[in-house]
Amino acid sequence: MRKRGLGFYASIYRKILIQDLKSKMSYRADFVISTFGMIMTNLAGFVTFMILFHNFPTISGWDYDHMLFLYGFSLVALTPVQCFFDNNWNLRFQVQSGDFIKYCFRPVNVFFYFMSEVFDVKGLGQLAFGIGTIVYAWIKIGIPVTPLIIAKLIVFLLTASLFMIALMNFAAATCFWIKGSGYVMVIMFRFKDFAKYPSSIFQGIFSVIFTFIIPIAFIAYYPSLVILTPDNVPLLSWISPLFGILFFYLSYRFWMLGVRKYDFTGS
Amino acid sequence: MDGLTGNEAVVMRNVCKDFKVLNRHEGLKGSIKDLFSRDYKTVSAVKDVTMTVNKGEIIGYLGPNGAGKSTTIKMMTGVLEPTSGEILVNGKVPYKNRTENCENIGVVFGQRSQLWWSLPLIESFKLLRDLYMVPQKDYEEMIDLYRSLVDIEPVLHKPVRQMSLGQRTLSDILAAFLHNPPVVFLDEPTIGLDVSMKSKIRELILGLNKEKNTTVILTTHDMGDVDALCRRIVIIDKGMKIYDNDIDHLKNYFGSYRTLKLKLADDTWEEMLIDEKTTDVMDVIMAKQKESKIKDVKILEISTEEVIKKIYEGSAK
Ligand SMILES: Nc1ncnc2c1ncn2[C@@H]1O[C@H](COP(=O)(O)OP(=O)(O)OP(=O)(O)O)[C@@H](O)[C@H]1O
Ligand SMILES: [Mg+2]
Repeated sequence: MRKRGLGFYASIYRKILIQDLKSKMSYRADFVISTFGMIMTNLAGFVTFMILFHNFPTISGWDYDHMLFLYGFSLVALTPVQCFFDNNWNLRFQVQSGDFIKYCFRPVNVFFYFMSEVFDVKGLGQLAFGIGTIVYAWIKIGIPVTPLIIAKLIVFLLTASLFMIALMNFAAATCFWIKGSGYVMVIMFRFKDFAKYPSSIFQGIFSVIFTFIIPIAFIAYYPSLVILTPDNVPLLSWISPLFGILFFYLSYRFWMLGVRKYDFTGS
Repeated sequence: MDGLTGNEAVVMRNVCKDFKVLNRHEGLKGSIKDLFSRDYKTVSAVKDVTMTVNKGEIIGYLGPNGAGKSTTIKMMTGVLEPTSGEILVNGKVPYKNRTENCENIGVVFGQRSQLWWSLPLIESFKLLRDLYMVPQKDYEEMIDLYRSLVDIEPVLHKPVRQMSLGQRTLSDILAAFLHNPPVVFLDEPTIGLDVSMKSKIRELILGLNKEKNTTVILTTHDMGDVDALCRRIVIIDKGMKIYDNDIDHLKNYFGSYRTLKLKLADDTWEEMLIDEKTTDVMDVIMAKQKESKIKDVKILEISTEEVIKKIYEGSAK
């Protein structure tokens, strides 16, 4: 068999993406409305954040600018899951109807092929919003701009993204075993809202759960500490990239295990 | 596997497939319960099926609803693992290496499109060409062949979501053959199509089989498909193989059966199947004449439809 390497997958993804965007643009009204919706959603999130902050000028010892940084960080970190892995939301419907079988007839990785089908443009607005917020907070806090810090920022943003993607993979793949996986997904997705807050607000058992069981503390809190408190970075922050890769890999294996165990529907 | 000649496209030996069906519960609480539940029952969908399909053959894989046809096809395409038994497709075990198997097969499940919903067909073709790494020259040759067999212009630039069921099925079949696979599986490809689309699709399948020597395994409930395409049929019922031979053989077997058609006084045709070995056709006509005036009489050879019906009914007893 001819080899299908990373280059092959990248080029296929690009081609599918281009075609998909082309066809989305052709539905102009749709495109405009969803762009508008995207801006409104982000604004609403931002306003909620401001109101909350108005009432609590510091949260767990974090002041406004640091919170803003964390907020921007989580927005950017959530972009990849929104843009590239949004089809996870459709998984349970396709699995239940049996339409999922179509992803198994192509000579490529099923996970890749399934995810490549949907690219959600809405994530891009979030990305722009998030970057804007980070830059603003960055200047206000007065973090120096050096190549090393920028490199760190990128690595830890990617780390944070991996955790969120993995979380959604786990949640979505439960549909291969249980009927009510919709609840699991919604719960996981809601959990991500906590990522915007310093995880030090969680006490005792919650702190343990959100760090090690459902690791949302890794979606923004631990990775961002590397930038925010460079003199006092917890060990968990430093090893979070490794954790992220491991956690993503496990979620991928879990997802693929679901595909293998799943025996499709009749007819 | 031993005893192979090398001319086989598909070999199945003693293949069984059981499904474990969980009695599922609704809601969040039910889901949690399901995770730990041992409340299973076993459904045997395919039982000890052995068969061989040779290269270049078109076989009709028939059986009543729920017989296990689709399950067999899912095993041959490598998405389901048989509970026991052996399968070879193009000389390889499909389940062991799904991706490799997928390069060498084409699959169509009627009414379940595999194409990109929002893309025009031609763009789907180009993506498939890249996915299967089909050389540009072969790709163009295939498109030319399609053009010579069927009018593809009306569908070529249409997004799949705007297509009618018939156009979509046609597109799916074209897509399944695009990488010129040695074996193609068609599960009820003509379901829900009008007569003209059906005949278009039959001609297309026949043409592709002839040009490319593609092995086709076809399931259908339409005996018109069987008459137009298949010389050999395999019939399964309740998961077990009950017939495997040429259609002609089957018709000989039912050679003493005749379809008798009578045109009655109110111009309606009444149809009945008569076994000449046990019943005299003239007796039936005369008996009927006592009830109603008979305007016309036709005696026909048994149709494939009726042969199959007899077999399904026979095995149901
Ligand atoms: N995923 C599954 N889980 C449980 N039972 C299944 C599953 N798939 C099929 N079955 C059962 O196995 C049997 C065979 O189903 P299959 O779909 O293979 O039949 P078929 O011959 O294709 O029928 P039809 O002509 O109606 O398409 C049926 O009793 C069906 O209910
Ligand atoms: Mg079927």
